[in-house]
Amino acid sequence: MKFSTLALLLAGLCAASAQAAPPAAPAAPAASSPPAVKPPPATAAPAATEHAALPPPSSAAQKLYTAARADILQVRVLLKNGRTQSSVGSGFLIGTGDLVVTNYHVVSQFALDPDTYVGEWVDTSGKRGNVELLAVDVLHDLAVVRVSRHGTGFFKMPAQLAELTQGQYLYSMGNPLDLGFAISEGAYNGVVTRSFYDQLMFTGPINSGMSGGPSVTAGGDVAGINVSKRLDGELVSFLVPARYAQQLLAQAAQLVKPPRDFKPVVTAQLLAHQDAMLARLLETPLSLKAMGPYRVPVRESEQMRCWGRSNVKADKPYTIDNTSCAMESAIFISGALQTGQVSMRHEFLRSSELGALRFAELASASFKNESFGTYKSAHLTGPHCTEQFVKNATLPLRAVVCVRAYRKFPGLYDFALLAASTDEPLMNLQSRIDARGVSYANGLRVTRTFLEALTRTPSARLAGKP
Amino acid sequence: MKAPYYIEILAANGDVQQRQRIDSLPIRIGRGYGNDFILDDAHTAAEHAMVEDDGEGGLLLRDLGSHNGVIHAGARRLEVALTGNTIVRLGHTRLRVRGADQPVAPERSDTTMHGWEGTRPAVAGLAMIAVSAAFANWLGDAENFEPISYLMIIAYAMAGGLVWASIWAVANRLFGQTARFGRHLFIIGCGLVAMEAWELASSMAAYALSLEALTAYGRHMFIVIVCAMVYFHLCTIKPQHPRRFALVSTVLAIVGSTLILLSNLQASGRLADELYMPLLYPPVLRVSPDHPTEALFKEVQSLQKGVDSERGKGGSGDEESEDDGEE
Repeated sequence: MKFSTLALLLAGLCAASAQAAPPAAPAAPAASSPPAVKPPPATAAPAATEHAALPPPSSAAQKLYTAARADILQVRVLLKNGRTQSSVGSGFLIGTGDLVVTNYHVVSQFALDPDTYVGEWVDTSGKRGNVELLAVDVLHDLAVVRVSRHGTGFFKMPAQLAELTQGQYLYSMGNPLDLGFAISEGAYNGVVTRSFYDQLMFTGPINSGMSGGPSVTAGGDVAGINVSKRLDGELVSFLVPARYAQQLLAQAAQLVKPPRDFKPVVTAQLLAHQDAMLARLLETPLSLKAMGPYRVPVRESEQMRCWGRSNVKADKPYTIDNTSCAMESAIFISGALQTGQVSMRHEFLRSSELGALRFAELASASFKNESFGTYKSAHLTGPHCTEQFVKNATLPLRAVVCVRAYRKFPGLYDFALLAASTDEPLMNLQSRIDARGVSYANGLRVTRTFLEALTRTPSARLAGKP
Repeated sequence: MKAPYYIEILAANGDVQQRQRIDSLPIRIGRGYGNDFILDDAHTAAEHAMVEDDGEGGLLLRDLGSHNGVIHAGARRLEVALTGNTIVRLGHTRLRVRGADQPVAPERSDTTMHGWEGTRPAVAGLAMIAVSAAFANWLGDAENFEPISYLMIIAYAMAGGLVWASIWAVANRLFGQTARFGRHLFIIGCGLVAMEAWELASSMAAYALSLEALTAYGRHMFIVIVCAMVYFHLCTIKPQHPRRFALVSTVLAIVGSTLILLSNLQASGRLADELYMPLLYPPVLRVSPDHPTEALFKEVQSLQKGVDSERGKGGSGDEESEDDGEE
């Protein structure tokens, strides 16, 4: 009974924010299952029922909120023309200075497009002022901005951060759905390593608009920064560990003059990310899985999960087996662009009933059904492709490689390799690897490694049932 | 010009609609019943014109004071000297006068296959439509055998063929003498078989010889086949103008191909139909060799220049639109 009520409340919330979210709000990444979603900085029109979403605070929460309220801010992104709000998030003042920590995805619009957007802060007493972006860390989704007021010293970032133990209460603050400042209570549940960069799991409610807000211990020490939640779970939320905010603050403090255009900064960070990501992906040889007589490369790790599917039970004259591996998280750049991700997919198709000609048609139809993206995108160029019949050490293949460049981030590319085996009339292996947001050299390296790793075992049985 | 004389009323395309023999001059022309040649045209006078001997062996057409007059070569004339090929217009009526000594064109050799008319080409055409439809369905059918799917596709294809042939038959009846329905049905049957054969043969050739251009621009061949069908339909209606119809079909083909190229350019930014050759045929068909993987990645390396130069141009798309099609 309780469960269903909760689910209903959540559904109502999701529906309300979805319906009210402006088109500019960062959308959920549509790619991998299951989705981890940045709370879109919402501009929801409040509905009466939504207040019920947050459980009433305990007395500890009351004390914390009273002490901290002067230092939590709402960070808004406004359109320069007309100063109407485009998206909102939260942030908090550090110590008695004028520096505010928030999420990169809250300020991404004016970081990338300072000619169209400006930032603004609003505090709990309703005062407001301009914000100046000092530093961003797209990999951990953090940003530091300077505001035109000073903190009271509640939120501290000591060199030695507080130790967290699993089950410990954390209190998350922010301005959910632009309804007003709020505090919510939950439990710290360890470090999750599913995303490429460590995040803390927080079992408590975080809603859109609380992004960038602080999560503190009962003692008032900053544990992390609210960043995202799982839409398919209950109260599964994520925090960026405070130590990354500390590092970014140290950087910002040394800064003489902040860059006007953050695109080169973002580019440099993405380039560093893809180097690290591919180094980790390729540090050991890819593991090989058997699909019929073929051996296909996959990588299963903390960050990369593989899923399989087959139609073998279905009453069809052919069978098809699927393996797909994807990173469950991507780097958020802007509402329409997530990147820094590798995914691979294998499809093994065979039939003993169709005959060579009809099997060829079936395999061709499956090979045809691949998309490499549109040339109309504002973020990426159209795909440039090359194709050839190739043979690696053991297997003849038809290979297609497509490359797209990032329009705003020079030096970054999306690589896609599509390969199909050409050695059997009634059996076909089709594989695809996508490396998004990589340098040209790394794109070449990863697609090549993948292509070379596709093999056929010598003692293969011929076409037929596995 | 020698008697007897023939007055011919012509349609706009030059066909004779009505012809009357007149034995002697002068010939009075008009709407009234006192004339030698009566015009059924409200825009002509009761006594409109007269054809006389001009005294030198030729004929002369003279306006008898009508309101709308005699028009020759676009201008109003009181008198027009007539040769066998002079066409004058009285009101809405175009006519010419020819004598018995008018030379005619030599006999044309008959290329029409009179035995291949009616039921036989119709049945052959329907059979070809049915076979090509059933074959296309069989080729793409990777599910379990369902007779109803074949029956449906054959029924739809035949119905479509019948409608297409009917339209041409109506046109044939309008502009020729007979409908020639069977012939038109045969033409569409041949067209469908040709398309099916091209599809399969070009795909296999493209795969066997690694000729990616065959699939990238294969749709243009379908335009050519359709235009060839139109040419044969037109020639069935009017066998005497093959050159004119060939020109019409060529223009149609060029227009069709241009439209395909432009729509490809608009939709995907390139002229080809396909981004890559999506074909996988059995290994026995392969003729072209396998390349080492270095060769492929050398090609990939050379893509960088093109993709970087496109980067600078800026996208036409919406800033906030989700970049689709990654999955």
